[in-house]
Amino acid sequence: MIELENLSKRYGGVPAVDNLSLRVEKGEIFGFLGPNGAGKTTTIRMMGGIIAPTKGLVRVGGLDMAKHPVDAKRMIGYIPDRPYLYEKLTGLEFLRFIASLYRVENGAFPKKAEGLLRLFALWPWADELVESYSHGMKQRLIMCAAFLHEPKVLVVDEPMVGLDPRGIRLVKDILREESKKGVSIFLSTHTLQVAQDLCNRIAIIHKGKVIAQGATSDLQTMANVSEEDLEAVFLRLTEEEAPLP
Amino acid sequence: MKSDILVLLLPRWRALGRPPAGVEKKHESVKTLLLAIIGLVFWLGVYTVFIQVLTYFRQVEGFGDVLAEKLLSMVLATFLSLLAFSSIITSLAKLYLSRDLALVHALPVSRARIFAARWIESTVDSSWMVLVFALPVFFSYGMVYRAGLGFYLNAPLVLLPFCVTVSAISAIPVMLAVVLLPANRFRTVLAFLGLVLFVAVYVAVRLARPERLVDPDEAASVMAYLAALQSPRAFWLPSTWACDAFLASLRGDWKTVWFHNSLAVSAAGASAYLAVLTARLFYFKGVTKAQTGRVGKAFPRSKSLEAAVPLPWLKGPERAFLIKEIKVFFRDQTQWPQVFLMAALVGIYLYNFKVLPLEKSPLPTVYLQNLFSFLNMALAGFVLTALVARFAYPAVSMEKEAFWIARSAPVSMGRIVWIKFAIYLVPLWALAVVLVAVTNKLLRVTPFMMWLSIGTVFCMVPGIVSMGIGLGAAFPNFSSENPAQSVTSFGGLLYMILSLVFIGLVVILEAGPVYAVFMAGAQGRVAGSLAWTWLGGTLALVAALCAAAVFLPMRAGIARLSRT
Repeated sequence: MIELENLSKRYGGVPAVDNLSLRVEKGEIFGFLGPNGAGKTTTIRMMGGIIAPTKGLVRVGGLDMAKHPVDAKRMIGYIPDRPYLYEKLTGLEFLRFIASLYRVENGAFPKKAEGLLRLFALWPWADELVESYSHGMKQRLIMCAAFLHEPKVLVVDEPMVGLDPRGIRLVKDILREESKKGVSIFLSTHTLQVAQDLCNRIAIIHKGKVIAQGATSDLQTMANVSEEDLEAVFLRLTEEEAPLP
Repeated sequence: MKSDILVLLLPRWRALGRPPAGVEKKHESVKTLLLAIIGLVFWLGVYTVFIQVLTYFRQVEGFGDVLAEKLLSMVLATFLSLLAFSSIITSLAKLYLSRDLALVHALPVSRARIFAARWIESTVDSSWMVLVFALPVFFSYGMVYRAGLGFYLNAPLVLLPFCVTVSAISAIPVMLAVVLLPANRFRTVLAFLGLVLFVAVYVAVRLARPERLVDPDEAASVMAYLAALQSPRAFWLPSTWACDAFLASLRGDWKTVWFHNSLAVSAAGASAYLAVLTARLFYFKGVTKAQTGRVGKAFPRSKSLEAAVPLPWLKGPERAFLIKEIKVFFRDQTQWPQVFLMAALVGIYLYNFKVLPLEKSPLPTVYLQNLFSFLNMALAGFVLTALVARFAYPAVSMEKEAFWIARSAPVSMGRIVWIKFAIYLVPLWALAVVLVAVTNKLLRVTPFMMWLSIGTVFCMVPGIVSMGIGLGAAFPNFSSENPAQSVTSFGGLLYMILSLVFIGLVVILEAGPVYAVFMAGAQGRVAGSLAWTWLGGTLALVAALCAAAVFLPMRAGIARLSRT
């Protein structure tokens, strides 16, 4: 459902993502881990069609993002790490704006919007300006917007930032449900427990390159770590050369 | 400690001359060079005008020196009002609305020192431009009156305390007002005050009826006015001290200079101390209030604009963006005063045409009416350029950090930018045509001129809007706290230059053939086929120029925005 082929992005000669190739199948939850500055958000922004790669391909549902960006984006629900929104719209107005862009049927919109706003506990604030929302509320509103057009692919950058424990549980349950329905989910996170709980496969990116990829057990083997703890795997795989004594 | 203040000022100092992340140094240097050239041209223009005016004044027996003194006092009074208004706006933004306030106030530094550092930044920001453009005025006085070196060396001693005093005195009411009002509302109130000030100045100018100066019958009253010029200036204003110090240094009267300088320096010190004292009492209260000023407010769904937009054929992204732009624009309180200000400008523009004393001119009225109508195309273009600069140029930047929504949406970047173009084109088209038609009606021009100017402006508007939107897309600034100010950036200046060149080209191209056809009509002749062919060819060229002005900037803007 998602294919990245030799994907690279350079910022003024400095490689942020270097020759990245991976594949996410239908209904799979794919975790994307890496230290700060490893290239996770750059990769996600290329997948969402927000920035163009310097080299390589992003394919969504078989469509090349560079050649068919509009059709490819229509299949994606994109959730960024920072909830920047139109502050002067109400929550419901923002959803209607998104619904128009993604061609959600007018007749179906009110029911869908109400359902999602209730699901994400935002219904009581539906008619208030986004500028009065807290960080977590804005994050939940972005999730409502991403689910509104029933995407085939979800591209999620740090979904749990700013959410309370109840919100985290809710998002985890929803992502599992969506995956069962056949939605492919590409999930970047720093919260290793979330990745361990949710993901079928995980890739670890370091300095722009994928250094390990597979199920948690495969990563354990690669990292030569005995504990069933993703944290140990992550630390071992991304550790820098030991400093001199 | 004093060093705390210096440390707080350090980030701003360090940021000077550093291009934003992702911008190549070469591009930044080109931008700086172009801005410097524009500034230098303006600077030399001010200098030349003042040299000519002062040289002329010196030749007028009796009145000349009085007029030069009066001019200097008026210039300094203007600087005083500009500085005061600019200091109020800047200190409000620096003290209460900056993004880094939370970080700065969490630091283990006393609030008085935080205030002092912010106030110094605010003083520099609000004063530097006034200082830079004050220099050619003072140089011209020095040159015309052949002042010695002491005059030039003394200038900073006069101007610096002047700026410090005005900045400190302006910050005090800001601190008091913020305690009473939330800061985000206060900015709107200030903008309204600006509008009131502007209208008041205009009304005062209109009541003085400067057009009477062209009427010889009014000469007696003008003489009486000149006699009144010698009345004393307000002794309590810092601009008066500065003026007196300058005039004394021109004469070489150093005793008087030092008296006024001492007055200015001690007033600056006292004002700064008073400002710090006020800050100790009120600054943090205001900061707390500014941070908690926003309250959630429900908007009734029944009045939803979705139902109100009477364009049923407009669907999908076009409709979504149109509704979003309208809502965001009218809910943003900082936009309202700008709309009023622009409305006032348009009103003033129309009124000026109404009061033109054409009958009293020695030139034939019909000729003059139609000449003004022709020039009016250019003037309407300039008014449109100002409106586009304020509203359409920042349209892409106004998306701010939420631009990811448009980028990740299944809509091409080109379509989004063209939607924005259409949103701003329609009202500006209507405004321009009405403006030209009404002024032509006031001028009672011939039908030929009426249709020619309406047609020309109708063709120019899409070009002007396209340059605004296209260059705004080519040079976006999504991280700006106030994108409306982006028009003062490199892209904004480039837009204004290109727009003025475009308007100038259209008017110059049309001038020759229009004159030939018009004069034939005015002299009761039928214009020959050569004149009509010339006009036809020119109009075709103007149409091609307008089409290029629409498509080239949009194409460049979309391409650059897509690459960003």
